[in-house]
Amino acid sequence: MSRRDPILPNAGIVARREYAERVGSRLFHLSTLLLATLGVVVALSPLIVRMLDRDTVTRIGVVASDGPLVDRSISILDGVLNATATGGPRAYEFSREANADPALQKVVDGDLDALLVATRQPSGRIDFKFHAGENMGADRTQLVSIGTLAVAILDWTASQKIEAGNPFTMPQLDVTAAGGPSSGGQPISSAEYASRRVVGIVFVVLIFITLVIYGMWVAAGVVAEKASRVMEVMISAASPQQLVIGKVAGIGLAGLTQAVGILAPAVAAIALEDRIAGAVLGPGSSVAPSLAGLSIGLLAAFLAYFVLGFVLYALIYAAAGSLVSRAEDLQMLALPLSLLAIVGYVQAVMALTGGSAGFIRVASYVPFWSPFVMLTRLSVGRVEPWEVVLSFSLLVAAIGVVFVVAVRVYAAGVLLYGQRPGLRTIAAVVVGSR
Amino acid sequence: MSPSRGGYPPRVSLVVDRVSKRFGSVVALDGMTFEVPRGQVFGFLGANGAGKTTTMRIALGVLHPDAGSIAWNGVPTAHLPRGTWGYLPEERGLYPRMTVLDQLVYFAGLYGVPRERAAREARAWLARFRVPEFAERRAEELSKGNQQKVQFLAAVLHDPDVLLMDEPFTGLDPVNVALLREAFLELRDRGKTLIFSTHQMETAEAMCESVAIVDRGRVVVGGTLGDVKRSTGRRMIVLGIEGDHRLAWLSTVPGTRVIRPGIDRSEVELDAGVRPDDVLAAAIARGLRVTHFEIADASLEQVFIDHVGRPADEEMRLAPDADAGSVAVSAAPARASESEPAA
Repeated sequence: MSRRDPILPNAGIVARREYAERVGSRLFHLSTLLLATLGVVVALSPLIVRMLDRDTVTRIGVVASDGPLVDRSISILDGVLNATATGGPRAYEFSREANADPALQKVVDGDLDALLVATRQPSGRIDFKFHAGENMGADRTQLVSIGTLAVAILDWTASQKIEAGNPFTMPQLDVTAAGGPSSGGQPISSAEYASRRVVGIVFVVLIFITLVIYGMWVAAGVVAEKASRVMEVMISAASPQQLVIGKVAGIGLAGLTQAVGILAPAVAAIALEDRIAGAVLGPGSSVAPSLAGLSIGLLAAFLAYFVLGFVLYALIYAAAGSLVSRAEDLQMLALPLSLLAIVGYVQAVMALTGGSAGFIRVASYVPFWSPFVMLTRLSVGRVEPWEVVLSFSLLVAAIGVVFVVAVRVYAAGVLLYGQRPGLRTIAAVVVGSR
Repeated sequence: MSPSRGGYPPRVSLVVDRVSKRFGSVVALDGMTFEVPRGQVFGFLGANGAGKTTTMRIALGVLHPDAGSIAWNGVPTAHLPRGTWGYLPEERGLYPRMTVLDQLVYFAGLYGVPRERAAREARAWLARFRVPEFAERRAEELSKGNQQKVQFLAAVLHDPDVLLMDEPFTGLDPVNVALLREAFLELRDRGKTLIFSTHQMETAEAMCESVAIVDRGRVVVGGTLGDVKRSTGRRMIVLGIEGDHRLAWLSTVPGTRVIRPGIDRSEVELDAGVRPDDVLAAAIARGLRVTHFEIADASLEQVFIDHVGRPADEEMRLAPDADAGSVAVSAAPARASESEPAA
């Protein structure tokens, strides 16, 4: 087009209208409130689980190489682990078990939550073997480990002559899973949940959901303008570039507003989780720090990939929306459009669990997938600076190319009514022969 | 606005020069050529699919021609600011949940009109249309006709030099048609050029100083209204006889045919060599009481049929009844006269 149409101020005027329309709608308020509530609930879920778990009794069987050690272990563990209980029912119950094997079967069957096997070595050191059942949470396992240390110390002070010069040796504690979730035989610890993987998966899920949902907002906005025929006026009043940029910017900002509205209470809840736990569950009831894996750099990367990823996908959604005339037809576009994002999402999840396999590494450079895959790689693994630079460069370049193509498709598509353009028509539009 | 250049006469402002456009295998425009004098009301007449909307979209820069050009005051339209044009599309559309005032300000803003001025102008126009209370109403709360009025205001609020309107009177009740006609004339008096497409010949006849009749993507005849109406060479009189609307006695006057019969008055075509006063004399000689006698040009509708071979609104009329071998129902007097010999 030879007419010179500066992007501003028209793109800004369009963006302001799009933003105001979405943010001012009742649906926006309701969905934001609902999702923010959900976000807080999810953020506080570890705390809620602990609250629900507060009244449950953990039954632990104890087997020892000698009778006094069994009695001493039970008495000390009972004193240490139930000490925090204030008036309520005891959180732990201990039973004396005769043999390890039948007791272990009880753990597998769920009759016991765990089995502690104490063996006194000739050196005097006590070796503990802790078989954790599937209901045995990592936090309680940690408390048991503290309890075994107390058992070792008190047993040493009771059974050894201090002046004999026998030094105290730290007890050994082996923890194995018996039927519960495990990672290499170890119960999954809360510390692991609080690792960067959690942050990574939260980010990738957030990016996926926001790109697909807000991308659909863009497509639906274009279709609504076509369906109401207001597009006829718009396309003569502003250039396709101005309209596409305004729509993407306005809806993108509305999406960002909603994302912040949803995330801010959740992040605040996580940040205050420890204090809330202390207030609700009593002192010493700390919750594993969920934000441990979060850094300023990672947040900046998330924001950059969110913005660039949204722009890339929103342009595609805008072009696709221009090719249909009715809201019903948009549903047919929803799946194929989201497939591209789903592929990136799946690879990102693989990157979270499988590290940097060759194709994952390549996928983290591919513009349509880098917002997902590179972000998770940044969260969990080592990424060379040049890889980040390459990923961003390709993403920005792709946005440039997709913008040109999307504007051409949009300019032709918005005037098509009642006909579904074939690939040949779209291709002709893209190369500029229509 | 830049001065006239490129060799066009000063008064000729919009020049559509051999514009062609194809959509796949469909030829939308086939060397469309016409001129619109500045400050006139111009009628762009044709049936659906004749190429009117495509021509307007090319003028607006929304579509690009395969060949030819459109220029305003010698400047190709692609180089003109968007605000040169005001556009009222055939398919009306507004943002349903926005208030009328907000959308008028919004559309004017896209043409660079400041908010305050746009709001002031919008309220003034709404008052002119006797609907000031619409300002705060949502578009979805208005009737179709009232939405159409709002859309007309959206097209004029930025004070464009040229108004392009696609079937502006379609769907309006007589009151709103009258309001819109008045607005047209007011804008024309302010020096604006108004171009509107229509297939309603009577509207064009009442409103236009110049017209172009288009068919299959090209102009078949164009010029001032008078020139176009005389382009077929038909000679007409309009005759009214008290108590006689059939005018059966005219069959005894050689070289005369009733082509648009009416209760009050009828249009009669005269062959070459037949003088109008011969008809008047024949009526008086028969003792008939003449209530109306007028030497007239052919109606625009008749001109259209003569040039195009069918009425502009043919698709809005029932097709001939094949069994009866004649037109069973016809709303158009001209068609009725055509069917008479068959009947």
